Amino acid sequence: MTRNMGFLLKTFMVSIVLLVGCSNGDTEKTKSADTGKEIVYATSKDINDMNPHFYSGSMPAQGMVYESLVENTEEGIKPSLAESWEVSEDGKVYTFHLRKNVTFHDGELFNAEAVKQNIEAVQSNASKHSWIKLSTKIVACNVLDEYTVELVLSEPYYPTLVELSMTRPYVFISPKNFVNGGTKDGVSGYNGTGPYKLTEHKVDQYAVFEANENYWGGAPRVKKITAKVLPAGETTFLALQKGEVNFVFTDDRGANSLDVEAMNQFVESGEHQMIRSQPMNTGIVVANSSKSESAVHEKAVREAFWHAIDRETISKQIFDGTEQVAYTLFSSNVNYANVELQKRGYDLEKAKKILEEAGWVIGSAGEFRTKNGKPLAMKLYYDVNSSTQKTQAELIQNTVKRIGVQLEIIGEESSSIANRRSTGDYDLLFNQTWGLAYDPQSTIAAFTSKSSYYHTTRGIAQAEELYRKIEEVMVSTNEEHRKSLYADILTIVHNEAVFIPITNGRVTILAPKNLQGISFKQTQFELPFERMYFE
Amino acid sequence: MGSYITKRLMLSIPLILIISFVTFAFIHLSPMDPAEVVLHSQGIPTITDELLAQTRAKLGMDQPFLTRYLNWVASCLQLDFGDSYITGKPVWSMLGPAFLHTVKLTLVSSFAIVALSVVLGVVCALNAGKWVDKSVRGVSFFLTSMPSYWLAALLIWYFSVKLDLLPTSGMESYKSYILPVVVITISYAGIYFRIIRSSMLSNMNEDYVLYARACGLPEKRITMHILRNSLQVAISVFCMAIPIILGSTVVVENIFAWPGLGTLSVKSILSRDFPIIQAYVLVLAVAFILFNTVSDIINAALKPQIRDGF
Repeated sequence: MTRNMGFLLKTFMVSIVLLVGCSNGDTEKTKSADTGKEIVYATSKDINDMNPHFYSGSMPAQGMVYESLVENTEEGIKPSLAESWEVSEDGKVYTFHLRKNVTFHDGELFNAEAVKQNIEAVQSNASKHSWIKLSTKIVACNVLDEYTVELVLSEPYYPTLVELSMTRPYVFISPKNFVNGGTKDGVSGYNGTGPYKLTEHKVDQYAVFEANENYWGGAPRVKKITAKVLPAGETTFLALQKGEVNFVFTDDRGANSLDVEAMNQFVESGEHQMIRSQPMNTGIVVANSSKSESAVHEKAVREAFWHAIDRETISKQIFDGTEQVAYTLFSSNVNYANVELQKRGYDLEKAKKILEEAGWVIGSAGEFRTKNGKPLAMKLYYDVNSSTQKTQAELIQNTVKRIGVQLEIIGEESSSIANRRSTGDYDLLFNQTWGLAYDPQSTIAAFTSKSSYYHTTRGIAQAEELYRKIEEVMVSTNEEHRKSLYADILTIVHNEAVFIPITNGRVTILAPKNLQGISFKQTQFELPFERMYFE
Repeated sequence: MGSYITKRLMLSIPLILIISFVTFAFIHLSPMDPAEVVLHSQGIPTITDELLAQTRAKLGMDQPFLTRYLNWVASCLQLDFGDSYITGKPVWSMLGPAFLHTVKLTLVSSFAIVALSVVLGVVCALNAGKWVDKSVRGVSFFLTSMPSYWLAALLIWYFSVKLDLLPTSGMESYKSYILPVVVITISYAGIYFRIIRSSMLSNMNEDYVLYARACGLPEKRITMHILRNSLQVAISVFCMAIPIILGSTVVVENIFAWPGLGTLSVKSILSRDFPIIQAYVLVLAVAFILFNTVSDIINAALKPQIRDGF
């Protein structure tokens, strides 16, 4: 028996040595992060499937590799892969003149044929892209000559250029990477035209992007960018201290792996800098107006709830002043959103008055209000992975208690919250607008969509009028008319208090002090790494 | 002995079938519509009814429950666990590498746990009641009760950041094993060395020890005899430790960014990637049954009464 056990033990040891030996011998790949030549950023998730015509990939990573025809900038739409374009009189035909001498990372030429093939690949999977209304309007994509391509729409659609500029799906991958003549069954490689190319990817470990030396806009100065997967915030903090990673930023779900205090600590140490973008989106509480059995169905309750949120304290205490108070669904720097709306601030007395007038009274029984024997109780759902939403929920729970509202707060996974939003199984939940490039048109289009804000808007008095106006604004060709329609839409949802704004979200970057040229795009989902350089 | 092993293995087949059915049923009892889950997890911002119907048909959700279960079992038998809802890749191509990474971590840790437990168990048993015994038990009690994420953070801070000796996370070289293995070992060795210690102590009072002493055998050889007999008890416990560690590395993997089963399972649970969750549960169940059977067989080999009584 002893001999047998000895044999077992020896086998066990040999197998361990063999197994461990199987792991690759790359020693300390990421240690060079602090040499000041490359960026190693921490990300909580793997870059995932980089197929640019799907939605599961990491958007900042896709943004480095792929490009669109046009770019959305602060000054409006600017050329990217298309040098110039014309729109026909009737607004149905867009003709693009492509940039010459642009190649994909695999050496293939970027030309009109490649554009046509990519757009057709997206359109052949149209049902997946129906959220982007342009996908329902494209009728044909025709090659006019090697570098000219025209896009034919079924009807005029004013956000065409904005939607073409988005991170996905209208971006271009080498047709050589197509599988079965398209991209919906997957792709065989990830060759875009962007400033960086994906050179190595170890699933759930890291992904390496190297500078595209032939980039049409000039080779990027930071030659290597590594995305290192660090699921735990504590490890990110320690890895930053050690220098294994040197860059962190707000991820595409709007969550920061480090809280404001931790970032400040790095800034104070003198080796890092913190840079914040302009307001990119609005953090909101969405109220389910269509849930008739809940108190949230009543406009007065929603209005009182709006008045009972102490945004100043949330901004100062929870966000340490890094996010500014928001009183409207879209901040005024968003297109068409500079509309005069009644300001509802933090005012508990007013909130109490609104509830009293609506018949919600505090009885002798207890501290919470009732109406016809029904208690004023609601549920607020928040994302458990967000470090700030829970704290905000607790603060709100505490303040609404003072006006006699019983608020139960429940933390759930983001996918579960998305599910509640689409099935209407909620009273109140945390959400955010989609961001500059998507606001207002995509967020507003989502008011009518079952999987988005349909339940939020369905129960309001002017629902039909709202939906009609939304439909109209998307196809309107007259700028003044469009402005007035947007103003009407925003006024209706504001008056009905179904989207309760809290603060304006921004993208935060923590980077080495000697990294210069850090800027932002018109979207919270991408960063222009190609403009950055080390001093 | 051969018939005993056959019987044990035969018994595990209905067990695996029951587990597979329960897993499948529970996941399909969940109120989430898998088609909606697929579309949400693919990040599609707006889901239309048409798209939902299309996806349901693609997933075979329009078939009756039992047909779906039987189809799934049939394909599992060919090691085809379906495709992930999120990545669309075959489940095995994702679970396989993650499983291997966790197995590596588990085996190295189990070895460290066995080695440390035996050494500490013997030292404590031989010095039972003395200060060595008391202090080892005290320290191990203290360390075992520390939450592993906290211990991990402390170790990373000291050895990686402060002393700059080891990487904070990842799986890049043999150095990457050290900290996670230490954390797992500390959490488990504290429990297992006590088993060896108490079994050694009870063996010390056996008649054969007295007889050996009476025969004038040197103390070293007597200790070896006691150890051998005590280890027989501990072996089945150690066998079960392997699947337990295999299934509970979640926290350690998360902190050390170890791309293993724990990370994958948590990710799949959060994103409701049902095919991966099903396969994960099944793989772990098989591991438990396998190691349980192995430990039973070892026990039976050591104590003939067990296999005779079967």
